[in-house]
Amino acid sequence: MIIHVKNLVKRFGELVALDHLSLDIKEGEIFGLLGPNGSGKSTAINCILSLLSYDKGEVEIFGKKMTPDAYDIKRDIGIVMQNVAVFEELTVYENIDYFCGLYVRNKAERKRLVEEALAFVELEDFRKFYPKKLSGGLLRRLNIACGIAHKPKLIILDEPTVAVDPQSRNKILEGIERLNAQGATIVYTSHYMEEVEQLCTRIVIMDKGRVIASGTKEELKAMITLGEKITVETFSIDEEQLIKLRELPGIVSVEHVDKRLIIKSGKGTNNLETVLDFLKTHEIGFGRIYSELPTLNDVFLEITGKQLRD
Amino acid sequence: MPVFKLCMKIFLKNWLSISLYVAIFLAIAIMISMSTMSEQNKSSSFSQEKAKVALISEEKTPLTEGFRQELAKSSDFVKLPDRTEALQDALFFRNVTYILRIPKGFTEDVLNGGSMQMEKTVVPNSTENAYVDINVEQYWNMARIYAKHEPKASEQQVVKQLKKNLSGSTPVTIKAHERAQTANSFSMYYFNFLAYTLSAVLIMGISTVMIVFNKRDLSRRNFCSPMRARSINTQLILANLLFAAISWAILVAFCFLLDSKSFATQNILFFIMNSAIFTACISSLSYLIGNLLKNLNAMSAVCNVLTLGPCFISGVFVPQEFLNSTVLKIASFTPTYWYVQANAKIATLTHFEWSDLEAIFYSMVIVLGFAIAFFALSLVIGKRKRLIN
Repeated sequence: MIIHVKNLVKRFGELVALDHLSLDIKEGEIFGLLGPNGSGKSTAINCILSLLSYDKGEVEIFGKKMTPDAYDIKRDIGIVMQNVAVFEELTVYENIDYFCGLYVRNKAERKRLVEEALAFVELEDFRKFYPKKLSGGLLRRLNIACGIAHKPKLIILDEPTVAVDPQSRNKILEGIERLNAQGATIVYTSHYMEEVEQLCTRIVIMDKGRVIASGTKEELKAMITLGEKITVETFSIDEEQLIKLRELPGIVSVEHVDKRLIIKSGKGTNNLETVLDFLKTHEIGFGRIYSELPTLNDVFLEITGKQLRD
Repeated sequence: MPVFKLCMKIFLKNWLSISLYVAIFLAIAIMISMSTMSEQNKSSSFSQEKAKVALISEEKTPLTEGFRQELAKSSDFVKLPDRTEALQDALFFRNVTYILRIPKGFTEDVLNGGSMQMEKTVVPNSTENAYVDINVEQYWNMARIYAKHEPKASEQQVVKQLKKNLSGSTPVTIKAHERAQTANSFSMYYFNFLAYTLSAVLIMGISTVMIVFNKRDLSRRNFCSPMRARSINTQLILANLLFAAISWAILVAFCFLLDSKSFATQNILFFIMNSAIFTACISSLSYLIGNLLKNLNAMSAVCNVLTLGPCFISGVFVPQEFLNSTVLKIASFTPTYWYVQANAKIATLTHFEWSDLEAIFYSMVIVLGFAIAFFALSLVIGKRKRLIN
């Protein structure tokens, strides 16, 4: 086990930020920590890294107890903060070199690592730029380079794609997959379920400082009672037809919102053909029609009764 | 030492704003040096004033010629036409301050022991005229004495004797009693003003570095690394101390360039020692400010308040003697007050016995106390901040 967290409790006065949080992260996986803003993801990361003291619980990294003085553990950890944490006074190259220098003393080796990190985040052409001159996406990439230049075994990325354009986001996600392929264990926190779904091999969904569900994305989706969701673009359907549609076998709910008919099916059922037959039989005109499997948002919605982005 | 090197880079990035303070300070220092230097020259050197004299002689004898030559040593002769109006105008416009007329038969009267007087017209309250009066009295009284005691001597012989007797002069050196060379000197003003510059430069430099390092995410990133917290702090302190030492050395070196004479005195050693202790104190204060402040925008306002405020109330710009006792009482809670007080005592130091130095060391110890207090406080706050973060 790379990270073992047991019954972690962190309070900020009256507020319980982490409520008996337990996690196990295995070597080589991309572990996703998913939850809405304020769910306790960053607090959990800070407690795991001993950047925050906690009230109760245990944290072990690489099988050893994590403390603020556990420098041998810290040597193999790379951290990418939620906010860009670089020195405005240093160039791109100098920033990476400085943070790499905190881990690697050998100058020649450090130079090689910095060059590799620059190439990894594709910032070679910006090496002499000061952070002020970089766009948001490039800054995020610099932030990542500063955290991974020393080739850590465990990389913790705390919402690294916040306020990043889609192109840069894709580059970041690709980069994370490559780091994992090179052997690093990744802990990825985000409130973007699409990213977590795309990237992570195992996911923990958090809310109010607690783990509300965990597993692979398939396992998480299997937890809920919902099956596929069929959306039909239709202009006219009357109330009577809606009631008849709801009565079809395997249909859980039917809604008509903004000229769109949203039909949710029960788990394990396939109602696309049935719905199409119904529309034809009742001569209901329709445009596009598409079917989706449940998302992590549906999982979160079913468990907590609210949207992930609430 | 990556943290140390980074600090140095940040200092270099800020050199422009820091050097601006140094440049302003030096400009003020040079202006002060010019004014104090000229004042010093007035009071420490002696040169005889010469009165502008119009000598009108109605007779020409060897004695009157000898008198003319003798008077020329202490007067500047101005030639004027012997007309009342012209003479009055010359006096009015201060072209001359003394008009002396030798009446006809004056020499004979003197040689015969008579009491005939020369006519004099002078500008009232003119100090230079006193010299002329003395010379006139001296010459003719001596001529009377020679004439009385050596009646056979010719006029030429009397003139020769008079010239010989009056040729002696006394060199004058002004040496104020028990006054130190550094009292009211450029160095004293310079070291007083140094309180302002050192405060501004050190707060600007050290606090900037500390604020940058204490940014929450940057400090977290640093403390996530395998570099020990103690090592990071030690490197930070070392870099700040080096910056403080270099700033202090540069400013003291400028004093040497501008007033190298004072560096020959023993007093300067105490000035240097006092400023070094003050540098340590302000470095600690800057370290504390850096730990307290969260952003660089607030820093320049804090820097101005913390540098100008204590300097105004502690007597850096206005001598402490002119400040109200309540103001001084408040100022005594700042290290600047004790620094200035020590400087004032050092400047007038003429003896270097323990009894003379005691008060100076007392002030220095207080400044050192401030330094230790600021440093301890900043360590506590720094640690507390790290835990809360």
